[in-house]
Amino acid sequence: MILSGRLKRTATLCAGLCIALPAIAVAHPHVFADASLEVVVSSDRTVKSLGHVWRFDDLFSSTVLFEFDKNKDLQLDDAELKDVSRTVYESLAEYGYFQLVTHDGKDVKMKPPSDLVAIYEDQQLTIMFQSEPAEKLALSGKVEFGIYDPTFYTAIDFVEDDMMMVDGMPSSCARAVVRPDPDEAIAQNQQTLTDAFFNDPTGNDYSKLFATRLELTCPAQG
Amino acid sequence: MKKTSVRIVFALLAIAYVATHFLGHAHAQSSLGIGANEAMLPSAGMFGGLLNWINAEQQGFYRALTGALKSMRDGGSGLWLLIGLSFAYGVFHAAGPGHGKAVISSYMLANEVALRRGILLSFVSALLQSLMAILVMGAVYFVLRGTAISMTNATRFLEIASYVLVTAFGAWLLWRKIGPWLRSLVWGKPALSLSSAHNHGHSHHEHHHHHDHGHHRAHDRHDHAHHHHAAGDVCEECGHSHAPDPALLGGRHFDWRTAWAAVASVGLRPCTGALIVLSFAFLNGLWAGGIVSVMAMGLGTAITVSLLATLAVSAKNVAVAFAGDGRTGNRIHAAIEIGGAAMVFLLGLALLAASLAV
Repeated sequence: MILSGRLKRTATLCAGLCIALPAIAVAHPHVFADASLEVVVSSDRTVKSLGHVWRFDDLFSSTVLFEFDKNKDLQLDDAELKDVSRTVYESLAEYGYFQLVTHDGKDVKMKPPSDLVAIYEDQQLTIMFQSEPAEKLALSGKVEFGIYDPTFYTAIDFVEDDMMMVDGMPSSCARAVVRPDPDEAIAQNQQTLTDAFFNDPTGNDYSKLFATRLELTCPAQG
Repeated sequence: MKKTSVRIVFALLAIAYVATHFLGHAHAQSSLGIGANEAMLPSAGMFGGLLNWINAEQQGFYRALTGALKSMRDGGSGLWLLIGLSFAYGVFHAAGPGHGKAVISSYMLANEVALRRGILLSFVSALLQSLMAILVMGAVYFVLRGTAISMTNATRFLEIASYVLVTAFGAWLLWRKIGPWLRSLVWGKPALSLSSAHNHGHSHHEHHHHHDHGHHRAHDRHDHAHHHHAAGDVCEECGHSHAPDPALLGGRHFDWRTAWAAVASVGLRPCTGALIVLSFAFLNGLWAGGIVSVMAMGLGTAITVSLLATLAVSAKNVAVAFAGDGRTGNRIHAAIEIGGAAMVFLLGLALLAASLAV
């Protein structure tokens, strides 16, 4: 009877898990930002810096105003904007500043940006910052830049392909902006997704599959 | 009884306060550090496609909704459009992430709740959720702005309180379902005749009064009421009959206290979309627009939650009917009810962990 009790407990647990897991889905973004990315390439064909500009939507911008308007004048003055930029800067640190750079499939380490500028114009918040690779990143083979929020909280939208620019691109390289179709991404990565789910239930692992990315393909260098 | 529940609620609130104050202090609640993301557990696998569609739809409606608000700010008159979009957003939002539908559905699975009441519960909890959003935003706008307490803090507090409530509620449901059976497993074996006798001693008494007074405590009682034992008898049935008898454990009477726990645990945490919409609306003087929009979201949410809860309960009824009235039927019934209770508990734990981890 104890055995049947155990069985029942196991069954219960399984039933609970089975119902619980599919019931909760991926969160959807509550914040939208029109973004641009500028990749600056040095004359020695290495990536010098990434420049980011994110202009947030009116609604989220009001929320920011609510949160940081200490003196209640319905404006964000310089001191208040400093608070905004510090808060965002500190939070983004945990998420690699929404950057995922890979070189031939391998992750490239990025230096944290030195600071982050926040401005509030026409009731919209804009955030700008610059970052550099931690080590020399040569343009050879395939270098990919994905800018996205791994938690799905923010949608970083590159409205047009031109919003992902390369400054000083070598003529032998090809530039492409890839926008994965979510359905296809799921279908193609079923196994990866399942593994990712068990390895990292927060989903930060697989969110990259859905992100818009800039691909630079250059001839390999000796 | 009432005093105890009040005390429990306050204890939980205190725990939530401590948890928010100390554990969560150094961490941001969303990736941007402003506003509160909704706790999420991703789901890949066979539902991926469907959920992805739901996600795309609700994103679309959210964008359209923000567009309608902006055009209202700029002098347009899109109130009905706004209401319609908010409603649609609510419908899809509830089908996506969020714990509301899961808690209500499993509560209904774990209890013999009439469908009509379950639907009422869905509506009341969605309404509470909308009201909480309006309350939080109103408080932030009129009272808290300029103080150290931000909307992010307030939401985080409510969120953790909500998840603590879900977990506690699940634990309590689970205990009610399997507690008596566990107790009988430990103490109720034939060999331990003394405690066994103790366990059975008052069962007839309670059994008779169960229907007369219908007091709630009857639910907590173990399921030995039907056995008649002569002194010294070996309890032949003890082994298998200790599984909870759904008829006794299911809660024949609709228990408003339990129902309120479910409603509160769901409704306490306002949804992020509603908060962002309200902050924009209040800031631009669209008072009525913001409030009506959030109420319409609540209505949409309530409809989806009731639909899903109805689906869950119908599935349960079909499974039980299919298995018949015999022992198998009872077992399936009990398993579904225990599963429902376990799910509320696990869900609460998962959400709480996710929420404290950020």
